[in-house]
Amino acid sequence: MTEEHQPRRDEDQKEFAEEQASLFKITLAPLIWAAHFAACYGLVAVTCAKGWDIDAVRFGLLVASGAALCGIGWVGLTAWRQWNVAQTGDFVNRGGRAEDRHHFLGHAAFLLSIISLIGVVFVSLPLVLIGGCQ
Amino acid sequence: MLGGAVVLWLLVNGAFYYLSRVRTGEFDQRYARHILIGGGIVLPVVVLTALLVWGLSILPDPRRPGDGLVVRVTGEQWWWRVEYWPEGADAPVLTANEIRLPVGQRTEIHLTSDKVIHSFWIPALGGKMDMFPGRETMISLLPEKSGTYRGQCAEFCGASHAWMAFAAVVMEPADFDRWLASEAADAVPPSTDAAARGERLFRSEGCGACHAVRGTENIGQVGPDLTHVGSRQTLGAGRLKVTIDDLSTWISHTDVLKPEVKMPTYDLELDQLSDLAAYLEGLK
Repeated sequence: MTEEHQPRRDEDQKEFAEEQASLFKITLAPLIWAAHFAACYGLVAVTCAKGWDIDAVRFGLLVASGAALCGIGWVGLTAWRQWNVAQTGDFVNRGGRAEDRHHFLGHAAFLLSIISLIGVVFVSLPLVLIGGCQ
Repeated sequence: MLGGAVVLWLLVNGAFYYLSRVRTGEFDQRYARHILIGGGIVLPVVVLTALLVWGLSILPDPRRPGDGLVVRVTGEQWWWRVEYWPEGADAPVLTANEIRLPVGQRTEIHLTSDKVIHSFWIPALGGKMDMFPGRETMISLLPEKSGTYRGQCAEFCGASHAWMAFAAVVMEPADFDRWLASEAADAVPPSTDAAARGERLFRSEGCGACHAVRGTENIGQVGPDLTHVGSRQTLGAGRLKVTIDDLSTWISHTDVLKPEVKMPTYDLELDQLSDLAAYLEGLK
């Protein structure tokens, strides 16, 4: 029995090694969102409490927001390419094959990058609409 | 806001009813996808974005500078010490347990506290703002409609926290100016025999050690200023009405009406109580 399963485990390990990049990609967009969130809330709170130059911090955070949106956009684009829905028109990753899992990871990373994009836009809105520390 | 909530409620429940009762059976994938993406992603994002933009646009309002009048409120256990500082005033007009504001003008409310943290809240006019001992916080309010609103301490501050309320009266600017002028004046002398007896009782019972009645020898600062207590809408910081009956009840049952309150219960004869109440009720 052990001998029969041996090649299977090797396959799993091989697949996992191949999909490491995909697994990393899944977390990347939410991580950018989290970092942007922490930077915005932390920096604005400290700046307003200490009386530092809010305009400079605001400008820096707006640039950071642009960079975060570009980063998430890039993750989303590569995830979209990995998810083969454009070629197949199939929204559901049914099969249990390695290829299906590969597509599914792209699918999940794409959806996560959409919600991260919305999150970053929402967190950035006060920077645009509220100028200072009021 | 309520209209929007009703529309959304009807939309969501209408969709639920339609899809579960009217149009049952298997759906075309394309159709289902449109419903899911449109109703589950696009619509919430659009609605939430619009609400967020609107919310952010009004967020700075309570921090805007006022139009001149400053009302300084100190949270006490369990009442409100109130000072009115009209623009350019050297000294405040002192009162208690009632906030009056001119309609259509932004008034700065400067908040502090005596011993514990309280929170100043008039739900109809704006958000809450905490009051800290040794610190001053500020909220500015712009009432748009005249009327009487309820204010309430919104931070647990001890046994009688729930009984720490006040009336917030929003008045036409001219009425407000007249009211402030009369509030700044000294107390009127007692106009009836009962009130005159009550005034003597007020002195002999030592009420003036804690309460001020401006224009008399009573200058205590421990409890609320009573110079115009008869013109207020509530007694004991929102606890009772300012009637002779309620005043008598208050003086003879302070600990029942407001647990752990500093003011002792006075064990007076009924006619003495009604004399004292008549004096206080007459302090218009």
